Amino acid sequence: MSTTRREFLQSASAALIGLSIKGDRVIAGSFVNDSFQLGHQLRDRANFPQPTQIVKRAVVIVGGGIAGLSAAWRLHKKDFTDFVLLEMNDQAGGNSRWGENEVTAYPWAAHYVPVPGPKAIYVRELFEELGVLKNGQWEERYLCFTPQERLFLYGRWQDGIEPAIGLTAADRDQFRRLEDQIQKFRATGKFTVPMELGLSDSTADLDRISFADWLRAQGMTSSLLNWYMNYCCRDDYGATTGDTSAWAGIQYFASREPEEKGPLTWPEGNGWIVRRLLERLGSYVHTDRMVHRILKRGKGFSVLAGDTEYQAEFIVFAAPTFMAPYLLEGMAPLHDFEYSPWLTANLTLEHLPDSYGTDPTWDNVFMDSPTLGYVDATHQSLRSHVDRTVWTFYWALSEGISSANRQLLLNRDWSYWKDAILHDLERVHPDIRSCVSRIDIMRMGHAMARPKVGAIFSAERRTLAQPRGRILFANSDLSGFSIFEEAQYRGVTAADSLMREVAG
Amino acid sequence: MGILLFITVLLIAACGLIYELIAGTLASYLLGDSVLQFSTIIGCYLFAMGIGSALSRYIDRGLAYRFVWIELLLGVVGGFSSALLFLAFAYTQGFQLLMYALVIVIGVLVGLEIPLLMRIIRDRYHFRDVVAHVLTFDYLGALGASLLFPILLVPYLGLVRSAMLFGIINVGVALWSTFLFAKQLASARALRIICVVVMCGLGIGLAQAKRITIAAEDNIYADEIIFARDTRYQHIVLTRFKDDIRLFLSSHLQFSSRDEYRYHEALVHPGLSAIPAPRHVLVLGGGDGLAVREILKYPQIDSITLVDLDPEMTRLFSTHPMLTALNKKSFLSPKVHIINADAFPWVDSNTDSFDFIVIDFPDPTNYSLGKLYTTAFYKAAARHLSAQGLMVVQSTSPMFARDSYWCIAQTLKQAGLRTYPYHVYVPSFGEWGFVIAAFRDYELPTSLPDGLRFVSVDGLPGLFKFPPDMSPLPMPPNRLNDQVLVRAYDQDWKDVSH
Repeated sequence: MSTTRREFLQSASAALIGLSIKGDRVIAGSFVNDSFQLGHQLRDRANFPQPTQIVKRAVVIVGGGIAGLSAAWRLHKKDFTDFVLLEMNDQAGGNSRWGENEVTAYPWAAHYVPVPGPKAIYVRELFEELGVLKNGQWEERYLCFTPQERLFLYGRWQDGIEPAIGLTAADRDQFRRLEDQIQKFRATGKFTVPMELGLSDSTADLDRISFADWLRAQGMTSSLLNWYMNYCCRDDYGATTGDTSAWAGIQYFASREPEEKGPLTWPEGNGWIVRRLLERLGSYVHTDRMVHRILKRGKGFSVLAGDTEYQAEFIVFAAPTFMAPYLLEGMAPLHDFEYSPWLTANLTLEHLPDSYGTDPTWDNVFMDSPTLGYVDATHQSLRSHVDRTVWTFYWALSEGISSANRQLLLNRDWSYWKDAILHDLERVHPDIRSCVSRIDIMRMGHAMARPKVGAIFSAERRTLAQPRGRILFANSDLSGFSIFEEAQYRGVTAADSLMREVAG
Repeated sequence: MGILLFITVLLIAACGLIYELIAGTLASYLLGDSVLQFSTIIGCYLFAMGIGSALSRYIDRGLAYRFVWIELLLGVVGGFSSALLFLAFAYTQGFQLLMYALVIVIGVLVGLEIPLLMRIIRDRYHFRDVVAHVLTFDYLGALGASLLFPILLVPYLGLVRSAMLFGIINVGVALWSTFLFAKQLASARALRIICVVVMCGLGIGLAQAKRITIAAEDNIYADEIIFARDTRYQHIVLTRFKDDIRLFLSSHLQFSSRDEYRYHEALVHPGLSAIPAPRHVLVLGGGDGLAVREILKYPQIDSITLVDLDPEMTRLFSTHPMLTALNKKSFLSPKVHIINADAFPWVDSNTDSFDFIVIDFPDPTNYSLGKLYTTAFYKAAARHLSAQGLMVVQSTSPMFARDSYWCIAQTLKQAGLRTYPYHVYVPSFGEWGFVIAAFRDYELPTSLPDGLRFVSVDGLPGLFKFPPDMSPLPMPPNRLNDQVLVRAYDQDWKDVSH
């Protein structure tokens, strides 16, 4: 009965204030790209069919995210063509998958690459090949357009995400001191992208405490500074500063010194890179091919996927490393790999809310929200006039225990998450419900590697990260955290290492 | 019954204070000097409340009936106060007079409310309870209103709609009172009908509030408005004063018919006359057809492609008799091809080549327009230049927006073009600047079409000389990822207006 009364009041008030007032829209949508059923089949060792055909390849790449595609890119570029890439989902790209509707293409997860520094030579090589870097100049239309970022705090928007208004003298002093510290760490050359090139035992102490504890030990107690640090860790690692190794917290800031105002981004995020890679490598890539077992056969391997047995001499294991013990015959369980659960959503907007506030901005963050805000997929459009758009909403479920958060992701229905997202947006855009026509939601139980305390200098991680032998691990989680450059580096070095082995 | 009565007190206290705050805020917005505005408004308001209280003793009979009427009146006067003040500021000289008159009327009515109400209910309670409760809820209402006003009402509703909303609440109180005091009312039904009618009136006002603010803003235009339309892309306004027609796009002046010939002759002829045999011309922006009118003075030109975002704009300048008289029906020429498209994607995907490109966009007042002034855009546009091709760019004022002007010139240079900056005086604009850009050298033309009123062969060299107060400034280029131009333009105009 309560709905009837509510409806009555709504229609009565609508009649009262005139019919031209717009009501809330009906919002369509669903969960998309769910893959945990597949993962759970592996975990629970479900019965898989016997293979009915045999395919022989020198190399099988397991996993079609950036690491796997980069291994393929490298092999192909060196004229090594005797390989196949197997992807369990119906779309390659992993965390760089994308979607497209009648409004625009949009990302499902990773949506940018910071302008790579001089050490990221493979990223630069790829970007030269893709026309992103030409004669030492970064292509302007792939750099994030002005205005890049804004933060909602104290009921208003400011430019940039680092809090800049309402700072006390003590806040300013702590931000300055942190910047000085970061500058010193940067000068040591031990924090690099890719991380393997700079990693030094002399920084191992930093991996023994959490970033939150390190900040406290430095006397950095400013709540604004701590909010910002926490935001950065949630954004890049899906973890709070308390769940992040101090080494990783410092790496976030000390590893980069961009030569150009970036980052690099595209409407479909890093899906743009995947698209370009698939144009070159599509014939090697088999989607909807879940590998369910890898068995040793003499010197080589037998890879079981669906109805096919792939016989290979080398494996590039580019899927998340935590899956390896479930697939690989005789592999011991892993202990040092942890992952952060995430939720992303793509919201189709029929128009921007009246409460938008500033010129259209790429990345929009709200102070003290559990979410990471939203990114506008049409921001990189060359058009001067955009009315409909898609916002990609990011939410790392970083507070509390990951396993409980995974349960929450699984157990709550679409409408629960839809409302949670809209509630968060309503704090900033009270009229958002009158703009949104569709919300599609993607749930990822193990979205990205979490660089918890001890993860970086973990012996387990460092051993698996050695590119040697006939099974080469290549996922970005071997760097301790999931970013594009690390995934690409691991993929390329795995490919190089196996080509050396093949050459003998 | 008791609590309902006191909620009535709370609501009317809130309404009264909201009207006062709205008047103070509006006066501060529109006139400045917020200390003066708030002080005088609060003073007048409190004084008027005193008058109201004093007048209450002359009301002997029909207390409830008069109370309902006071609430109704307050709802109407208070509810429409903000809209009235906006319109008064836009259309009349008497803003302050009206404002103080409204504040006094509202103050008197609010001053009447509480004494009347206390007398209506005095038989129901002890006198000391009446005083204590009424005043308590009166002050609570004031607190609520003073918190609601800055936190919710101003940011989310705005001043016009907030006033309407509280007007509705006031009338709601009137309606409610007809039930509360039904026994003391002879003609409750008639009053109720009036309440509902007034409420609908305020409701319509609430729904149409945006129109009222737009109407008020329109009157920043000094002259008679002969055409106004909100298109999907912009707000088009045409004004006329005697023989002067002016076009405003989203409140920015585009031309005045008295001197636009200076602008458009200067935009087109220095470049176009310097091209030996121009055949194909591209105009980006320029939906008024005035640049095309100048281009049609070259009979050897085969085709003119005009790309303008807004179909309403090009339709208006193809059909409106007053405007086609101005552009000499240029859009009706068979040589002209009109394409309604967003310029950057069009330039980026089209592959045609042109001998002359006119780039005549609105000033870079925001980052969306700023994209059309970037190295990326100029590179894309320059790919359309034929071997002998030149392009000319509307580049804001080297006088009032000197940083912006030289930033645009630098951006063209950075896009790999040779640049030839020049400027003209257009009375309705002031000093205005253009840049000719090309991959080749530019030399001044030695002949021009007949019948020009401003540009002459003798006068041309002077246009390319910049006196010291407009001379080049070192500026970085405007890039998609670092739009320095929009910030510079904003700053330039702030410097001029302060």
